[in-house]
Amino acid sequence: MLGVLRIQGALPSAGQVRLLSARLLANKSSTDMTTNRCESSKSPASEHFDIIIGGGGLVGTTLAAALAKNSTLADKKVLLLEGAPELRGFDPSGPYQNRVSAINKNSIELFKSIDAWSHIEAARYKHVKQMQVWESNTDALIQFQHDNFASDVACIIENDLILDAVYARVKDAPNVEILNKARIQCVRLPKDSEGNLSELQLQDGRSFSCDLLIGADGANSVVRKEMNVDVFSLNYDRMGLVATLELGEDACDNSVAWQRFLPNGPVALLPLTDRLSSLVWSTTNEQAKKLQALPPGEFVDALNEAFCRQYPRVELADKAVQTLNSLFGHNASQHQVQYPPRVCGVQDKSRATFPLGFLHASSYVCNGAALVGDAAHRVHPLAGQGVNLGFSDVRHLVESLAAGAYAGFKLGDKQHLIKYERKCLAKNVPIMLGVHGLHTLYSTQFSPVVLLRSLGLQLTQNLPPIKNLFMRGAMGQ
Amino acid sequence: MLRNLVFASRGLRQSLAGILLRNSARSSSTATSLDAGTEKEVRHHENHASEWWNQNGTMGALHALNEIRVPFIRDGIVSRGTVEPGYVNTTKVLKGQHILEVGCGGGLLTEQLARLGAQVTGIDLGEKLIEAARDHLKCFSSELASNVLYKMEPVDQHAKANCEFYDGVIVSEVLEHVDDKVTLLEASVRALKPGGSIFITTLNKTIPSWFGGVILSEYVLNLVPKGTHHWDKMISPLDVQRILDTMNCQTVLVNGSTYDFWSNTWRWINNTQMCYALQAVKQPLSGSN
Repeated sequence: MLGVLRIQGALPSAGQVRLLSARLLANKSSTDMTTNRCESSKSPASEHFDIIIGGGGLVGTTLAAALAKNSTLADKKVLLLEGAPELRGFDPSGPYQNRVSAINKNSIELFKSIDAWSHIEAARYKHVKQMQVWESNTDALIQFQHDNFASDVACIIENDLILDAVYARVKDAPNVEILNKARIQCVRLPKDSEGNLSELQLQDGRSFSCDLLIGADGANSVVRKEMNVDVFSLNYDRMGLVATLELGEDACDNSVAWQRFLPNGPVALLPLTDRLSSLVWSTTNEQAKKLQALPPGEFVDALNEAFCRQYPRVELADKAVQTLNSLFGHNASQHQVQYPPRVCGVQDKSRATFPLGFLHASSYVCNGAALVGDAAHRVHPLAGQGVNLGFSDVRHLVESLAAGAYAGFKLGDKQHLIKYERKCLAKNVPIMLGVHGLHTLYSTQFSPVVLLRSLGLQLTQNLPPIKNLFMRGAMGQ
Repeated sequence: MLRNLVFASRGLRQSLAGILLRNSARSSSTATSLDAGTEKEVRHHENHASEWWNQNGTMGALHALNEIRVPFIRDGIVSRGTVEPGYVNTTKVLKGQHILEVGCGGGLLTEQLARLGAQVTGIDLGEKLIEAARDHLKCFSSELASNVLYKMEPVDQHAKANCEFYDGVIVSEVLEHVDDKVTLLEASVRALKPGGSIFITTLNKTIPSWFGGVILSEYVLNLVPKGTHHWDKMISPLDVQRILDTMNCQTVLVNGSTYDFWSNTWRWINNTQMCYALQAVKQPLSGSN
């Protein structure tokens, strides 16, 4: 159908074609998969790569760097497609960016293995020695740290810095090509048990073929749509509000990450320097919009209030927590909530919002394609796991591809790609359910739930083995 | 024990027919006079020629077996020290190695070894199987065309023309379909260079492997066509070892394996009760002929 249109319309622009096909779609109520499919015969002059990565975000670019670094895959030609123009580079002396990530140990190991960590170290990042999580309806709280603060819980790194570091590695790699301003128009994957190639066409008309197409193109992945996998997704009807904050004198070395569960969602402070922190505030769409528009002074007041305000207590739960603590022989002072440093300013234009949702693809692989990062799974930012899960996908995928290639499998052979999927599912699903569960658990003020969650949190705080289990999980060990 | 039985289930999915040697006409140059048993096995496998490359069909377990048998063969060859050190851990690891696959069927293993750089000759007695193998090579793996050669030829005939030529000879999932194992192995060994390795994978002759590989997979779970495996054709690793010993081949490795039908995966286990993979090295000294 698309092909016919092209001929008649003497190559109308990609946009027009899409519009037309959309209209046809509406009329004929066929599925978009059939109209989106490239005609393979139409693109005889397509360039071939072994692996094409669709999407040059944090995860996609890191994947390209990791593929280039792997000695078994060193002879594979890789193409990285990114919709944005070329990265301008990162200025480590400039103002702090508002999008930051809490990077766990596993992800740092990955950066080290691809020689990107020294780049980050030479620029700027902040160690987090302790994490405190508490809530608004009771005194229940939990603190995570290593014994004697010997090791970091996580590192807070600006997303642009990570991207700059891995991008530099990719540019050095002889076997990776980067194509900027490249948006995927349509994708064609080999059908089951057919061994041929994956093909794709860009919006500017160029077409490529490859043995393996990797979808690193985010939550609205074009590659995933063509893979025809079931997707489970939820819209939380919440927005994340980010900002860069200036702290008062009481910040000390500012090495604690703070997170408080409020009735509308968690608000978190992630340290950037001794005097700067990054904010991630999840709340209802209306409140997020309102907060974003507030004058700076009022915004800072609202924020300080969010961390300190006494909300109506659930008395029963409060009592229960106290009883539990006394059972463990702790007095109240040991479990005093510490309060985060006072916020005294917000940097200009650093406030931004983004929607929050949950998404999980039923399968990450098919013949000729695989998904990584947000294209396969998207979680609430409350535990800082999203991008770390993406980086763990990268490690597993590169491992599986190298093992598969060294055993003579085709790169796109589902037979060995399925091993990547199994490893990832075993790791990702429990974490995703856990994070989603926390979000749900803390979205209510219903007394019995408050009671149970408070007891659960306090029990975890009081029982080191359980606490260590969670901590190791969150830190990716 | 019970657990073991269930685990085993599909035991070995059959494979390649072919290879069966004509007992009588060893000097003849045509491949027409197969004995009745061999003929039957070849036809049985030819009936599934079109299914061979379908990962989700009855050959699913054979596809999955590549996950462990390719690394077994690859590492077995690397361990002989004939691979250039620079090729280890690259996808050219088997470059320059000449490999004979006896009973290659549709070429599942053949192509994968060729993709590691090896020069592979696949022989089989099933015409339709060789045809399917050639078709697949042409349509889907044309880049391997210069590394793979398929021939419809009995192994004794091939060995005569290629005496002591190969670095490796593979008899994978074949022995359990052959009556005269000695003749087959003798011809395979003859094609092998001194110092080269013969790799064998098959299912053991034990109650668990019979129960899992025949009863469960053929008659209960219908994973494999009925009549694929027979008790009297199965052979234990010790017997294989004994036969190879008489041909001056020293067994260097025997690994046990089993098949998990629910996840379509093979894995190594620490006993050979179900299936096994064996590597033997042809000793350089003294005449094997």
